[in-house]
Amino acid sequence: MVLIALAFAVFASALPGFTTPFSLFAIGRQIGIDTMIGLAMMAVIVTGGLDLSVGAIGVSAAMVFGWLCERLGLPLAVSIPGALLFGALLGAINGYTVVRSGVHSFIITLASMSIFFGVMIFLTKAEAFRGLPPEVAGLGRLKLGGKVSALLAVSLAACVALSVFYRFTTLGRRMLAAGANPRAAEISGVRTGRMIIACHALTGALAALAGLMVTARTGAAVPSMAGQLGQDWLLPAFLAPVLGGTLLSGGRVAVFGTLLGAAFVNVITSGLLQLRVGEFWIQACLGLILLAAVLADRGRHTILRRRGLV
Amino acid sequence: MNDSKLTRAFDNDWIGPALVSLVAIAAISALQPSFLSSFNILVLLSAIAVNMLIALGQLVIIAVGQMNLALGSIGGLVAISFAAMMEIWHLPPLVAMGGGLAIGVIAGMASGFVIARTGISAFIITLAGLQIFKGINLGITEAQPFYGVPQSVKDFGNVALAGPIPWLVLPMVAAAVFMWVLFNRLRIGRYILAIGGNRNAAELSGINLDTTVIWAHALSGLLAAGAGMMLVARLQIGHPAIGEDWLISSFAAPVIGGAILSGGHVSVVGTFFGVVIIAIITQALVLFAIDPFVVQIVLGALILWAVGINRLREMRVARAKA
Repeated sequence: MVLIALAFAVFASALPGFTTPFSLFAIGRQIGIDTMIGLAMMAVIVTGGLDLSVGAIGVSAAMVFGWLCERLGLPLAVSIPGALLFGALLGAINGYTVVRSGVHSFIITLASMSIFFGVMIFLTKAEAFRGLPPEVAGLGRLKLGGKVSALLAVSLAACVALSVFYRFTTLGRRMLAAGANPRAAEISGVRTGRMIIACHALTGALAALAGLMVTARTGAAVPSMAGQLGQDWLLPAFLAPVLGGTLLSGGRVAVFGTLLGAAFVNVITSGLLQLRVGEFWIQACLGLILLAAVLADRGRHTILRRRGLV
Repeated sequence: MNDSKLTRAFDNDWIGPALVSLVAIAAISALQPSFLSSFNILVLLSAIAVNMLIALGQLVIIAVGQMNLALGSIGGLVAISFAAMMEIWHLPPLVAMGGGLAIGVIAGMASGFVIARTGISAFIITLAGLQIFKGINLGITEAQPFYGVPQSVKDFGNVALAGPIPWLVLPMVAAAVFMWVLFNRLRIGRYILAIGGNRNAAELSGINLDTTVIWAHALSGLLAAGAGMMLVARLQIGHPAIGEDWLISSFAAPVIGGAILSGGHVSVVGTFFGVVIIAIITQALVLFAIDPFVVQIVLGALILWAVGINRLREMRVARAKA
């Protein structure tokens, strides 16, 4: 949090254009999307696993949304839940395969990333759905109170919902328990396998939501919106939760931390962009930030352990 | 059991993939005789040669029980550095090659060093590495390829050594033989497998974990560098996109070849047949004019299938021991 304020202050003073409403709006919108991608990955990191296919699921769900809206002419009230359900289904397939095969989710989702994306491209013939209802693009442009992107508001709402979910509902607590110590959870009556499938399904639904948000931003469902195989989402997906303090070994979440992580990354990225660092070098910077973040996290743990607090 | 000999033969990692390769070759060449034309074999062998180095680069990391997401970005960085050294500094190809290999080793060692020293999961470190190396690549090239590749290098990637066998097969054979010797005869190879098999036992028996992990990553970087430069020779340009699509196939081939992802068990010969199967399938889809995106689906399905088979074999071994 301190870091974000600091970075923001530095860029705001160095760049006169940084705090214009448009710039803030654009940054906020991107933070909203990255937060959602990060939350999607966080939901599966809870189990100590990971999901390489978030990008592929997100794009596939967005394409399903485009198909429902444009080809079948269904109203948004049907096609949005339809796309989210579809994402959850793809996630559940991942989870089911992971649980039944006992193979690490890395390799399962590596395979499913390539399958989902391949099927999606095959069915859509790599063509975008551009005739979406105007409300979709409208949502992407909507500014609440003149400055704040509606997409950021969607992510904020998701953060609140997820915090309540993990803290106060039985299902959420069981998910965390299954991730923290599967054997102990199993003994105390949690069906660990089902929890893992549920976590993967949640990841799928959140990835689908992120896909829809990107669709709202561009105003069209484009097959290449997450890059080849959806790989472009991988870095934001891990960067935000890890910066936010989610443990990769599972069992602990940091929902608002993920939001802050995404905010931090985007403030730095757009700051560097406006400083004309050159967009190509920014990739390298993001890699360095991730590295620095995990090192800092490790350092914090070592200090805590030395003081006997963990 | 009277079929024990047969069972033991099928327990060899590479028998299954080898049979699949043979059946696939027979079936495809029966349907499409041009599959065995000498030009097609040349293309096929070139693809196999490059992909074998990529797969071996991942294999050595799988052996130690980790994963390397940065493999492709190291290969890409070396590829463009190799081309740049020849175009801008006019270095002779052999010197540039040495420079390229050195970059690969250093990049790999850097990943290995951070992983070994901090104990953070290799996944995260190599994801960061992927971004850093890719960013440097794009920062240098600004997404523009280097075209000034000398004729000798182009020839190496495109001319046949004898009949339908390309020059590119030479580095592949060298790398494969070296890796086989490494895992079966050399101490460092056994250390790598020991750490992948049982980290604690390996440490207790006096193996230096840090050094071994760093060496494994250095070797992975070396192989990625080799593959990157072979692609420069084959494509005749130093393209910044080299390495972007290595991730899936680098895992698919070792897994098809029977490698166990938790580490400690790999097969160089099996990996070779894994590479062959992937190359045959890719090539067949091209020959039959099937949508290239189907390749992605097939690759993904192949990984799942191979993982399933490995799992069954593991379970059978476990039952036999019990």
